[in-house]
Amino acid sequence: MPQEFQQTNRTQQEQPQDAQETGVSAQAAAQSQEGFDALDAVLDDIESTLETNAEEYVNSFVQKGGE
Amino acid sequence: MPQLRDSGTRAAHDAGATPAAELDGFQRIFGIETEYGVSVTGADRPVDAGQVAMTMFQPVVSRARSTNTYLDNGARLYLDVGSHPEYATAEARDPLDALAQDAAGERIMASLAAEAQKRLRESHGAGAAIHVFKNNVDSAGHAFGCHENYLVRRFVPLETIERQLLPFLITRQLYTGAGRFTSDGFQITQRADFLDEAVSSATTRSRPMVNTRDEPHADPESFRRLHVIIGDSNRSHWATWMKLASTHLVLCVIEEAVRRGVPSGFEDLAFDDPAAANRMVSRWLDADAAEHAESGASPVDALAVQHRYLDAVEAFVRGRHAAVAASLPRTDVDAVLDAWRWALDALGRRDVAALATRVDWAAKYRLAEAMRRRKGGDLPLAQLERMELDYHDVANGRLYASLVAHGQLAEGVSGVVPAGDGDGTCADGCGDVRDGSTTMDALVRRAMHTPPADTRAALRGAFVRRALDAGAQFSCDWTTLVVSAPLRRETTLLDPFHAGETDDYRALMAALQTNR
Repeated sequence: MPQEFQQTNRTQQEQPQDAQETGVSAQAAAQSQEGFDALDAVLDDIESTLETNAEEYVNSFVQKGGE
Repeated sequence: MPQLRDSGTRAAHDAGATPAAELDGFQRIFGIETEYGVSVTGADRPVDAGQVAMTMFQPVVSRARSTNTYLDNGARLYLDVGSHPEYATAEARDPLDALAQDAAGERIMASLAAEAQKRLRESHGAGAAIHVFKNNVDSAGHAFGCHENYLVRRFVPLETIERQLLPFLITRQLYTGAGRFTSDGFQITQRADFLDEAVSSATTRSRPMVNTRDEPHADPESFRRLHVIIGDSNRSHWATWMKLASTHLVLCVIEEAVRRGVPSGFEDLAFDDPAAANRMVSRWLDADAAEHAESGASPVDALAVQHRYLDAVEAFVRGRHAAVAASLPRTDVDAVLDAWRWALDALGRRDVAALATRVDWAAKYRLAEAMRRRKGGDLPLAQLERMELDYHDVANGRLYASLVAHGQLAEGVSGVVPAGDGDGTCADGCGDVRDGSTTMDALVRRAMHTPPADTRAALRGAFVRRALDAGAQFSCDWTTLVVSAPLRRETTLLDPFHAGETDDYRALMAALQTNR
């Protein structure tokens, strides 16, 4: 549940730098310490994508090495 | 007709001596070369990588009459061996500029892919989708690279760099690795299984970690170009920024030690077998589990090696703070040290959830755990690989954007300081970098057509822009700009730190103006 998640996220905010925390959105800097519930919204976003033809998708990516 | 000539250093001696300030200080030029993988799904009939890449590069070919070109942001865009679209950032003085340029490269690739997808759908069905992977391995185990370039003072012997830097490059992957699901478990790097030699002059036949092909694209008497091959392609902005910034600081320590004839403190860190150490670091999570199970010492204590480097770098920066800070025009050196310490502490706590907000491998690992939890058991490898590829797909992938949108992965970096007077604004009004990630987005958008202002790239970018506007035949390489018709003119820009216009350059630009 995205909305619930965002609230939880804010209360758990813990940032590696305080004064210098620039260029990072406050929300993105939040660290979810509790389980994986916070990832539910992300999984909801991608679940249908991931379940369709995973093998075909993966195997279609073949090319010679580069560098 | 834009044709590439790697003139490299041929004009070195025409251009005069390197300014003392460049040699005496800690300033550096950074660059990132990223190879992308391509594939198509949902098409009526098979499309191979070569076709996808050529379809993507059609607009480039029609503009430049070549699959190699330079862009108005100073970067190089080309099609590499093995049908890999490749993007090399323009010369940057700061890791933040290199990051913005590299992220701009992702968007340029995405836009080439979107155009190509429209054309492909006309011939291969409405379901055809082009995927452009910013990763390092395809499904058949072919590896490709993300190479970092650092301009290093030539008075440092290559053997010293190899001995003192390689242990750092191998162990920094604890926080810069992009991670990979394999049939025998999760690795924190993409490439450890594909790198064998520590230092070599070739990259395609054997895969070294540091490449000695020494084309400094600068005064060769003063500089060499350190070409680092060992790193993974990163989606995390923080990881790209950190790998450049931390490597820069370690190089500063090594350079200063050689300059003053004193020990760097990194003399005893070399691994007997760098490739084995690299593979072991990549299996860090496994080794960790084994260690906990048996209470035996890990043969390579990667985290301890990183602490050695960080402690030495911190002491070094304390001793000459102003000089080191001055080498990073937009990045705050203390913020780099803080971020580095934060990462090592989180690794020490095995805090994958914290790391997952910034470290690519941890983001993937944590997501896989969440997927397993939701499914109530192990997942087929294909689904993990599918998830992983989606994360790396800059064209049609949804996962990276979703992680950012839901606050699970940081976009932008911590600890940047603005260019110029320090009031938070860029000279040309790109906004306040302290606003948050929307401004990182603005920096990246701007970098798609704007070169770094304080390097040679500013001159190249302006030249490309004017040549395109004038419809002139031109060519470039890193050190040379050429107009080939109606009258042939060229100029050499040997000093990558120099963004000022030379007389030759003004004449070249004036000639283009007349052409219009």
